[in-house]
Amino acid sequence: MADTVLGKHQLEKALYEENKAVSSGQLKEENPLDTSTEFRIFCEACRRGDLRVCQEQISKGININARDQFDYTPLILASLCGHYEVAQMLLEQGARCERDTFQGERCLYNALNDRIRNLLLSYDFSKSTDLLQPLAAHMTSLLTRETPMTADIAVHTGDTTLNLHKFILSARSPYFASKLAAAPETTTWKLANTIPSQSFETCIRYLYLGDVGADLGEGDEEQAILTGIDKLSKQLEVPQLFDNILQSGDRRQARQRRTEELEKSSEQITTWFQRNVLKYKVFVDSEKADGVKWDRNNGIFADVLLRADEDEEVEAEVEESESSDESPQIRRTEGPLNGIPIGNFAQQTSRSPSRRRRPKRSVLFPCHRAMLLRSELFATMFASPFREGQESEHLHIVPLDCSPEVLEVILTFLYTEKADFGLHLALDVLHAADMLFIEKLKQRAALLISTLGNGNASVVESENPRGVTGAEEEEEVINIYDVIRAGWDTRVHRLEEFGARFIAYRLEGYIDEPEFRTLVRESAARIKGRQETDTVELVDDIRYYLSDRFRLRFEDSGLDEMMDESTAGPEGADDGGGLESRVEKLAVHDDEGYSGSSPENDAVGQDAAAWEAAQQGVVRTLDGEVAGDEFAQDALNYQILLAKIDTLMETLGLDG
Amino acid sequence: MASAMSRRGGGKIRAPRRGLNGADVDFQTTWIVLETAFREIHTKNASALSFEELYRNAYKLVLKKQGEELYKRVAEFEEQWLGSTVRKEIVQTLSAPLMVNEGAGRTLATANERRQAGEKFLRRLKQSWEDHQVCMGMLTDVLMYMDRVYCTDHRQPSIFAKSMGLFRDQILRTPLSQHQPNLLDVLTRIILDQIQMDRDGENIDPFLIKSNVYMLEGLYESDVEAEDDKLYLKSFELEFLQQSAEFYREEGARLLKESDAGTYCRHAKRRIDEENDRCRSTLTESTSPKIVRVVEDELIRNKMKGLIEMESGVAFMVDNEKLHELNLVFDLEARVDPKKPELTRAMQKIIAEMGTNINNAAIAASEAPQVQTEAPAAEEDDGKARTASVKPLNQQTAAALKWVEEILALKDRFDNICKESFKTQSVDQALSTAINRSMADVINAFSRGSEYISLFIDDNMKRGIKDKTEAEVDLMLEKAIMVLRYLQDKDIFETYYKKHLCKRLLLKKSVSVEVEKQMISRMKVELGNSFTLKFEAMFKDMTLSEELSNGYKKHAAGVADLNDSKGIELSIKVLTSMTWPLEAFRSGIEGDNDGIRPQIIYPPAIRRVKEGFERFYSQKHSGRKLTWHNNMGDALLKARFPHSKATVHDVECSTYAMLILLLFEDLPNGSTLSFEEIEAATNIPLDDLKRNLQSLAVAPKTRFLVKTPMSREIKPGDRFRYNENFVSNVRRIRVGVVSAGNKVEGDRERKETEKKNNEDRKFQIEAAIVRIMKQRKELAHAQLLTETLTQLSHQFKPDVNMIKKRIEGLIEREYLERMDEAPVPSYRYLA
Repeated sequence: MADTVLGKHQLEKALYEENKAVSSGQLKEENPLDTSTEFRIFCEACRRGDLRVCQEQISKGININARDQFDYTPLILASLCGHYEVAQMLLEQGARCERDTFQGERCLYNALNDRIRNLLLSYDFSKSTDLLQPLAAHMTSLLTRETPMTADIAVHTGDTTLNLHKFILSARSPYFASKLAAAPETTTWKLANTIPSQSFETCIRYLYLGDVGADLGEGDEEQAILTGIDKLSKQLEVPQLFDNILQSGDRRQARQRRTEELEKSSEQITTWFQRNVLKYKVFVDSEKADGVKWDRNNGIFADVLLRADEDEEVEAEVEESESSDESPQIRRTEGPLNGIPIGNFAQQTSRSPSRRRRPKRSVLFPCHRAMLLRSELFATMFASPFREGQESEHLHIVPLDCSPEVLEVILTFLYTEKADFGLHLALDVLHAADMLFIEKLKQRAALLISTLGNGNASVVESENPRGVTGAEEEEEVINIYDVIRAGWDTRVHRLEEFGARFIAYRLEGYIDEPEFRTLVRESAARIKGRQETDTVELVDDIRYYLSDRFRLRFEDSGLDEMMDESTAGPEGADDGGGLESRVEKLAVHDDEGYSGSSPENDAVGQDAAAWEAAQQGVVRTLDGEVAGDEFAQDALNYQILLAKIDTLMETLGLDG
Repeated sequence: MASAMSRRGGGKIRAPRRGLNGADVDFQTTWIVLETAFREIHTKNASALSFEELYRNAYKLVLKKQGEELYKRVAEFEEQWLGSTVRKEIVQTLSAPLMVNEGAGRTLATANERRQAGEKFLRRLKQSWEDHQVCMGMLTDVLMYMDRVYCTDHRQPSIFAKSMGLFRDQILRTPLSQHQPNLLDVLTRIILDQIQMDRDGENIDPFLIKSNVYMLEGLYESDVEAEDDKLYLKSFELEFLQQSAEFYREEGARLLKESDAGTYCRHAKRRIDEENDRCRSTLTESTSPKIVRVVEDELIRNKMKGLIEMESGVAFMVDNEKLHELNLVFDLEARVDPKKPELTRAMQKIIAEMGTNINNAAIAASEAPQVQTEAPAAEEDDGKARTASVKPLNQQTAAALKWVEEILALKDRFDNICKESFKTQSVDQALSTAINRSMADVINAFSRGSEYISLFIDDNMKRGIKDKTEAEVDLMLEKAIMVLRYLQDKDIFETYYKKHLCKRLLLKKSVSVEVEKQMISRMKVELGNSFTLKFEAMFKDMTLSEELSNGYKKHAAGVADLNDSKGIELSIKVLTSMTWPLEAFRSGIEGDNDGIRPQIIYPPAIRRVKEGFERFYSQKHSGRKLTWHNNMGDALLKARFPHSKATVHDVECSTYAMLILLLFEDLPNGSTLSFEEIEAATNIPLDDLKRNLQSLAVAPKTRFLVKTPMSREIKPGDRFRYNENFVSNVRRIRVGVVSAGNKVEGDRERKETEKKNNEDRKFQIEAAIVRIMKQRKELAHAQLLTETLTQLSHQFKPDVNMIKKRIEGLIEREYLERMDEAPVPSYRYLA
């Protein structure tokens, strides 16, 4: 990557050309203007570094790469205002910052500090590609992957044989879809000899989301191949293919086309996935689950069944599902059957999703090993010489230790790269993804927890050193202990940090809980062979964020100095005034731009109201003593909390 | 409490439903499930096992913080399995033939028995290793979560690596029993034994050994698994290399004694190839360079000297033109040292020897006839005189020619050797330069080199290239230049060449002026412009003279004064005195009284012509002075002899002879002139006069004069008269003058030349010093020396002492001064 920053004239020229290309319709504008209210809220959140609001808006499907009326993109705002976490979150979810583009260079140029600048550079387009790229790469790699063997149809061309996957062909090409629907058991397909095999290979690459184009031979050869592609693209009903190949253009156009193409393709796959895999999931009693038999030749070309047990009773479930796993299985062969779910319900009469409430229900998802391979666990499983890796007459049923909803989330991610799920599933998904070694999904779950987990207390308000108000505590949405433990178990550092911060900002609420004490002890135990000098990570983190929480106060005037002054000094009063004006400013913003409909705004409003109330009333510390003003109160509170931690550590017999 | 949390409504986060807060897993039950499965896996019964179930069990244990226990148990399980079951199987295959060779020596069991027993053992070990690998692969799959989570967090080696370590410790490292070697030693010994069999030409199973080597490569000295700590490298390879070194040391010594060099080379080469192949087929590629190095060390590097000095060594090969075998030697040494010092030294020695032989032969050849030179010249009085006077010259020249030819042959020979034998892709540069340097040494070691080369060219110009095709002429020129290239003292060569060229031009001995010019242009290319400047000037003088003669002829036709000079035609050569080495024509004695050369007295007709030309010339080029070198001129006379068949004879003779003959023209028949009279009338230098009179009065074919008394020697007081009775069959008579051709210089002359040359060099050196100093202003002594040497290197190699003297001289003349303040002796240039 070139280290030199482009000159102004170069940028202007590039901008001019870009505008021209956009206006002539050659290029899609990368940063379309968006003047909607949601986008403005989003931008405002980026400006202030409000992680939660940002995440909420992104979840609503806002265009992360749009620009506001002042030509600012969210990423530029976040990096300009120095919000590292927000910038990182934006980049992780697809915000673009590409060198050699006007907006990209602008973003880099505007970055507040080197840390953010380096972050931006590390996400440069040349390094991290399209979000869908991993999916596409996996699909393409299926063409050459040999173990485990997942192909189920052999296509013979003039001189080569390609081993392909029926479900991909069917999802991507209407032609194959209809052909295979008519005869799902087909295992070979022959191509007309007149079409060069290279044409077909190109088409297949296209169907498998590979990059097409580039080198197609010379002269006559090229002509023949192109003709072949043209024919095939008509036959397979994928007209875009031929157009794509014929079109050439600069890097950016090609990339844009590819991005569009990928989006379209993944849309196709998503639809197919929903219409097939999800549609044909089987609800069955857990006891009977192992008896379900699917024939290899089924209409949706599944080659494995994944089983998840519904959790009716959490405590009981574990043992029961285990016992059912170990129960001897009787396999009975049935006559070959085509089409959708074939079960062997020797003793059962019904195979339909029954409405009867039973204590143990299981869901079977018909899946394709080719896609499951994206999880390392499955890749190992299907390649191993164990039962799952062997051929059998009926599909293997692989039980997974998670709920059907979670399994659905996982499957959706594996098939479509989409990871939209609610906070309520996040921890489960996190664990399951950890078990299945799906690193990306793990990160997404962790991201979700750490951004939405703060509940209504967004980061901005958390800067309020006085902690969250009682009312907010009621609405707490997560069990922070679980989150921290999950972070430890699944080795997601982000969650540990999040947890420590979360607790730090609400320490007064947690410090006395016995569960907190246990957690600290667990954290201490995490370090093997403790040394005298070792610290407890969790406590250290909490101390750090605690200082973060109060730092705002002490940065300017120096902590020690302030501690000496027990009575309210003039600075304190000034500071109080400053705070007031800040609140006022927020309120002004409110009036100007915000409709006041967003909960965030409400919170601000509430907060501001609480402030005013607090200022009018008597200011008290956590101990209930009367402090001169908020400022003195902060200082005292900080000391009180630190002292409490120390006491806790002492009682636990820990250093640090 | 977790469940309490999870009871909350949708949209809120839920506690994970399982794993974290679920009931503790009972380690023992879970472990039993796993252990049973592991046992099945080891007995190759895994196909019915469910991967998912095993994985889930292991996963739960790890999640429940029981990873450490699990890890420990798995390791214990493996240790036990390997230590009891697997080990027993292997030890069983150790049969008697393998064990006896321990102390009692190898003879107890025949090679065949040992081989079979060894293969049995190797086969079993290989099988066990492969089984272990497969099983551990499966275990690793199942224990994936443990590897990823527990092992990474606790910095434990992966279970696979751990079990490999167990295999090493349990199977290979445990001694068979007390005071017995362990299996690793046994294995090493068996493999080495088999390799020895392979070297001795017996058939072994390479794949079997290879798979065992592969096992050793997969194992490490310790559990850290550092790349350098492979068991193969640490145990087997060391032994292997050591044993091989011994083997080849012995073999090399034996071969040197028993066979000839060619066979040795071939053998060594074959051995290296064999070892290379063996590494590929039996051991591992990475050993290849190491074992090759061992073989190279033992068979080549340590034996090279012996090999070259063998009776059938390099000298023998060169003598007998065994190019292929030389190539083998070359290849061998090229393997161990790209510089090939031994071979280079050997070649240089051979060249030096051969060259010295040639030089000595040339000196011997040139000295032998030297004795004769004086004798035959005067004694013979008829036809033989001429041949006799030529013969010794020819012998001298022949020595020169022979020398040059032999040098060329030598060079050709070694060039050929270089081309044929000393090459990899192209001819080896270092070696060919070394050979060239030796050639140069040989040539420069011969003091008469410069002269001989010039003579060689001279001879070729005069005779050699007659009737030869252009290509042959080219070849000759090329050869000459080739030798010239080696010559160091090019200035001496220049002197000689100038002399020879001068004679060729003036006496019109050259066969082809074209070829002469070609030669010059080649020299120009080879030695630079300045070198041929004077040669070119000589040619220029020749052409100018021709024009001048023609111009004069036209001029003379128009001038009445000259018309009456009885139609004397004048052909003149005006030579620039600096470029032409005219002293070559002066005999040694004459050189002494250079300054007081008496004026030659011309007959009036001739004098008129001479004066006429002088006038003509000074008109054209005023201010130039013409000096007449009559001794170099010749004349064509028409003479009548009453008794001869032809009425008029054309007599071709030297200018002096002409002058003498003209004296007799007007003399009445029978009158005589005494020697003194002739001398007085012509003023010809005594020596020349004697020689010319000798040709005119003594030589039988050109006896125009009759001398009294009749004797061979011309003495003062002799009288001469016109020989009326002269008879000749041919119309044109050529009067030879004794001694005119080019010959090898006598010692005296050589000293002369050398002295002159040294004088020249002095100026050259001074010029070079001044040039350098003028540019540098101040320079250290050592630096000045080197710079001077480099500047002059293309002309000659100056003597350091001479340079020092020149510097002194320049200081005396105040061109330079010593710098007193400088730390090292330095000079400063004085403008």
